[in-house]
Amino acid sequence: MLVSSSRITRAREMVTKTEETLLNQLENQVDNGGGGTWEYLCLIRNLKVRRSEKVLKHGSSILNDQKKRSALGPDEWTLNEQVAIAAMDCQCLGVAQSCIKALQTKFPGSKRVGRLEALLLEAKGLWGEAEEAYASLLEDNPLDQAIHKRRVAISKALGKPSIAIELLNKYLELFMADHDAWRELAELYLSLQMYKQAAFCYEELILSQPTVPLYHLAYAEVLYTIGGVENIISARKYYAATVDLTGGKNTRALLGICLCASAIAQLSKGRNKEDKDATAAPELHSLAAAAVEKEYKQKAPDKLQLISSALRILKT
Amino acid sequence: MNLGFLVGVFGVLILSHAAYSTIQYRGLLKIMEEEFSRPPINVILELIIGLALCMWAALTFPGKFLSIHPDSDENRAVSLPDNSDFMIFNHRGRLFPPQIDMKF
Repeated sequence: MLVSSSRITRAREMVTKTEETLLNQLENQVDNGGGGTWEYLCLIRNLKVRRSEKVLKHGSSILNDQKKRSALGPDEWTLNEQVAIAAMDCQCLGVAQSCIKALQTKFPGSKRVGRLEALLLEAKGLWGEAEEAYASLLEDNPLDQAIHKRRVAISKALGKPSIAIELLNKYLELFMADHDAWRELAELYLSLQMYKQAAFCYEELILSQPTVPLYHLAYAEVLYTIGGVENIISARKYYAATVDLTGGKNTRALLGICLCASAIAQLSKGRNKEDKDATAAPELHSLAAAAVEKEYKQKAPDKLQLISSALRILKT
Repeated sequence: MNLGFLVGVFGVLILSHAAYSTIQYRGLLKIMEEEFSRPPINVILELIIGLALCMWAALTFPGKFLSIHPDSDENRAVSLPDNSDFMIFNHRGRLFPPQIDMKF
């Protein structure tokens, strides 16, 4: 990875609130004609967010201007790559082609440019040629992680999630620590409604990265979907963990706690009093409901009435 | 320079003066052939003042301290990075390409 001029250059687990506000601020600034375009593009690249239209618009404005382009120095090529991928996402294949041609003239015979060319074949919809290109790239480099992942993406794009799952499982046998791949596998299983397998993937993610609250949240939601009293009790625990890790600001987790409490109360109607008291957590429920109402009062006061009545129904 | 820096420099000067005084005091005691148990009271007072000034300067000079709690309002996770390794291009957005012309 080329060293860029931005301040933040470490591996990303999640996007924090300050980074999100900075990104939105820079986006407003750049959209309204203020400077800071290069900083904005670097931030997008580091945070790995997918803002293809903006990247295309502002990146190509830099690349079209000869003066600004030479002012970048060696970062020009990273920008070319970023704009090429954004152009493919927005289906501006001409732009992508010219960016890749510029990269080819500068770095002939480069594997990274070869990957971009195969990506362009994917964007054009020529799946067969793209597969062949990836196969030939794999011959030189059989352990290239990015190429394996693109093959999974091709199967996903062709609408064959079962083949994608098979390929991804084989990939994960080799590269077990790749958490992006585990995330993708979980989402593929969820799209096929294979909830138990998706739960397994999220467990792997929580084990490897226990400080990311969004994995706890996703796991809790999968458990809640599977249903059954034990699963919903576990789901409540993971919702509570999410609330803990996000400082109580994640409304979805707070609502999840209220829903779990109501579901547990309903499912354990037939049980005797001691069992019910052991599984109920009335303080947690009322605290979560109060926190939700506070959030709504702050951010959406006209919907406060709705949420209060909904929470009251859940409490009974 | 701002006040914190000046106070810090002043504190360091006071500490070095206290050290110099202690060394001179030990020299004096060696001449009088007495035991060195602890530096004189005024040096100890000087040391305490120097400590207080240096600590105050160390806390004010660096400026704003960043939060280290992972669940504070600045550091909390808001979203995960989009999984760009598995990005696919045949989504609905490909029917609405923006008009960009390239001149290079």
